[in-house]
Amino acid sequence: MSEKLYAWLLRLYPARFRAAFGDEALQLYRDRSRDETGFLRKLRLWLDLLADLAVTLTRDYTPAAAPAPFETGPSLLLLPDQSPRTAAMLFGSLISLATLVALPFLVSHSGGYPQIPGPSAPRALAFADAQSTSHSDARNWSADTADRKRIIAAVIANLKEYYVYPGVARKMAAALEAHEKNGDDETVSLGAPFANLLATQMRDVSRDKHLRLEYSLSPAPDYSQGPPPDAVARFRREMKQQNCTFEKVEILPYNIGYLKVNGFPDPAICQSSALSAMAKLNDASAIIFDVRDNHGGSPRMVALLASYLFDRPTHLTDIFTRPNNSTEQSWTPPPVPGNKLADKPAYVLISSSTFSGGEEFPYDLKMLKRARLVGEPTAGAAHLTSAHRIEDHYTFFVPSGRPINPVSKTDWEGAGVQPDVKVDASDALATAQKLALDRLQSGRSSK
Amino acid sequence: MPKQKLDPLPAAAFQILLSLADEDLHGYGIMRQVADQTGGRMRLGPGTLYSSLQALAEEKLIQEVGAREDADSGTERRRYYRLTSAGRKLARSEADRLAALLRVARAKKILRGGYV
Repeated sequence: MSEKLYAWLLRLYPARFRAAFGDEALQLYRDRSRDETGFLRKLRLWLDLLADLAVTLTRDYTPAAAPAPFETGPSLLLLPDQSPRTAAMLFGSLISLATLVALPFLVSHSGGYPQIPGPSAPRALAFADAQSTSHSDARNWSADTADRKRIIAAVIANLKEYYVYPGVARKMAAALEAHEKNGDDETVSLGAPFANLLATQMRDVSRDKHLRLEYSLSPAPDYSQGPPPDAVARFRREMKQQNCTFEKVEILPYNIGYLKVNGFPDPAICQSSALSAMAKLNDASAIIFDVRDNHGGSPRMVALLASYLFDRPTHLTDIFTRPNNSTEQSWTPPPVPGNKLADKPAYVLISSSTFSGGEEFPYDLKMLKRARLVGEPTAGAAHLTSAHRIEDHYTFFVPSGRPINPVSKTDWEGAGVQPDVKVDASDALATAQKLALDRLQSGRSSK
Repeated sequence: MPKQKLDPLPAAAFQILLSLADEDLHGYGIMRQVADQTGGRMRLGPGTLYSSLQALAEEKLIQEVGAREDADSGTERRRYYRLTSAGRKLARSEADRLAALLRVARAKKILRGGYV
């Protein structure tokens, strides 16, 4: 019945709007009324719809362009000649009436909006900003304090169990407790501001760029049984749209191969993209890998791409993970049959945006003296992260592993990966091309 | 005409661009994502939502990527929208502008706490 009512309301929208989006608007209504149950939310849904209609109709009658102001004197905005449609007039009265009726009700039920949909929304966490927090009564305030305490305790438990360096974990935990005791956390409301504040408090101690605490309005996925299937499905879809972040595969002048890859997505999803990109470059005389915009991913993809630069499986790095105190070796897989790149000059372009797994690739190759790095020092974020859900809406990304390079016996956390040839990131490609060309020409003349 | 609609960029249009930064979404998906990223403060009604989408599409800041099945429900076919590179650029410059504003606000000490 209420859908019919809304379909009727839709007829008040401008004809052009209805023709283009009528069906979608109706679908939107269906979605919302399916997800937003309960009297308060239904009321809010209808107020939203009425307000939206009012705004849309007003805009429809706003002059498209302000008339040129007079040289002197006031400038006047004129309504178009035709008067509003009867339907619009009628609707105007309806809205005024609805507002009048709703206002007293809303005033007596103040205290912030109830939460938006979310299939299993728990009791409304206040989204109110600091200002309205001060309006809420003492009971709410102490409930917030209890929530904060619980969340902080869960964050600390996760830190102590999973964070890669137990000593740093203890320091971060102490900082969180000190801030809480000091009342620092009460300046922000629960939800995203609180999550950001805690993350900042922890990062101030650890300087760990991988550490994140996120709040989501809809319940966070449960990571305890491995990555949630719908997140994997979404990732798969995104990777397909972006060609697995393989942005450019080209042969540059003088037969120099160029691959720009902006992530290292797991081969389980992206192996075929990697193989086909590298196959196109197989006949190149030299190869440039561009990871200036690469924000990381899976060590397995790092190993797969690196495998093209070696004629046998090669030990790239060890990876230590805290929860089970285990160290795993990462080796390149055996080279694909027919690979011709194993003995070709290789260059890797890096920048200050090169992050995480994006840094492992140049770091490993530098330690093995298999590629020259051109550009700027990288971001300096070496850790591997695991995700943990806290309560229903917080996700804590805890850095819980680190690579340990067999040559350097360490990683690049904080320091970043240093280039062999230091130039602005924007000049890195031209510089590497020139280096490659010089190398190819000197190689030819010496023969 | 649409140029006028988007200059200066309305808050709703900016939020829509941001909502599409990570993945393609349909109309309702955009509405939920915007509500999510604004902590529930902005709920786009159909009129605002679809006229903003139209204006953004006319300026090639987003594009329609055709109807397809909703992965969640697996039943209804919906129109999905995708951020274009021009849209991403505009969102970035708007974010820069707001960041500059934030620096001023911070310098004037009107913000509490260190989380911004």
